[in-house]
Amino acid sequence: MGVDYIILVFITSIGLYQIATIPAGLKGLWFFKWRAVQYAFGIIAIVGAFTWFFLDEDRNYQHTIEGAQQLGLFLGCIIAAYVFTGIVSSVIRANVATRPKEPVKGKQHDLGVETLKKTTLLGGILSSLRHEREK
Amino acid sequence: MPPLWGWTLYITEAAQVVEENAPIINDIMSLLISDFLIPVSICLILLGLWIGHSNPKKREQSQRHVMNAAVAIGISTLIVTILNTQDFWPRPFDPAIPNVDLWQSAYLAADIVAYHHADPPFPCNGATISFAAATCIWFGNRKAGLVIFILASLWAFARFYGGLHFFVDMAAGIVIGVTTAIMISKVFMPRTEPVPTIALHIARALYIA
Repeated sequence: MGVDYIILVFITSIGLYQIATIPAGLKGLWFFKWRAVQYAFGIIAIVGAFTWFFLDEDRNYQHTIEGAQQLGLFLGCIIAAYVFTGIVSSVIRANVATRPKEPVKGKQHDLGVETLKKTTLLGGILSSLRHEREK
Repeated sequence: MPPLWGWTLYITEAAQVVEENAPIINDIMSLLISDFLIPVSICLILLGLWIGHSNPKKREQSQRHVMNAAVAIGISTLIVTILNTQDFWPRPFDPAIPNVDLWQSAYLAADIVAYHHADPPFPCNGATISFAAATCIWFGNRKAGLVIFILASLWAFARFYGGLHFFVDMAAGIVIGVTTAIMISKVFMPRTEPVPTIALHIARALYIA
């Protein structure tokens, strides 16, 4: 049950990141160039994961995952899914380059994920490490 | 026996009538009562609100409400854990319930749509945390708040319908969840500044906010 729950949250989170980053314009996390494909991928990931989870076996039994454990696993999985999304999108570079033409303006602790509108996750981290940001 | 215990008898008897005439409704209730469908859905909505805004200022506001929801869920769970130690009354399906009709009916309903939970029923944990999250989000985003309120209501009703809780357990859970959320959003979090702002700065530095 624990492993199934981890898989459920991991896959649905990846799907959610693909959908939620469209209105946010965070192209650095996109897997695809086309929004329609991005939406379709996200929806299939979420619906598919839930369908698999509930059709695979009956989930209504006395399981061993307590509420706090469930929350802890959820947090771990969404972070893992975020890192996975960041790495895959950095490798694919569907919409933005790892090294943007113009350096990112501003400090990372002010910008946050805003950086991912112009570069990939790995690109943002590398530019922070190289101190090549404009103040 | 808790007040309004008779309502549990009516609703669990209804679950058995439904099972004989329209079992698909009980299949849906079985899905809604699950410990995974609605909690994971609510958490995914919170995650979407965390990252889904284009405007950085609106995103930050949204993230603050999600932070409030996370704190409210934590505090309300603590309150439920403390109240659970008092062991007010057993689950409706427990043979320790003096009314035989009630526990037998609830036992069958729990068999049909859920399973026999072992922890104390008062207050309903699911209603507490889901209504706490819904209320915190409602203050910042009416549409998302409404969606979470609907999910929370479905979850709470399903648990009542499945004979896992008395009506009072569910009502107490809602009151605790909503009250905690109001206290966290309107009193506690604004007074803990700059801690939430520092937390957001750290999260931004780590590319997660």
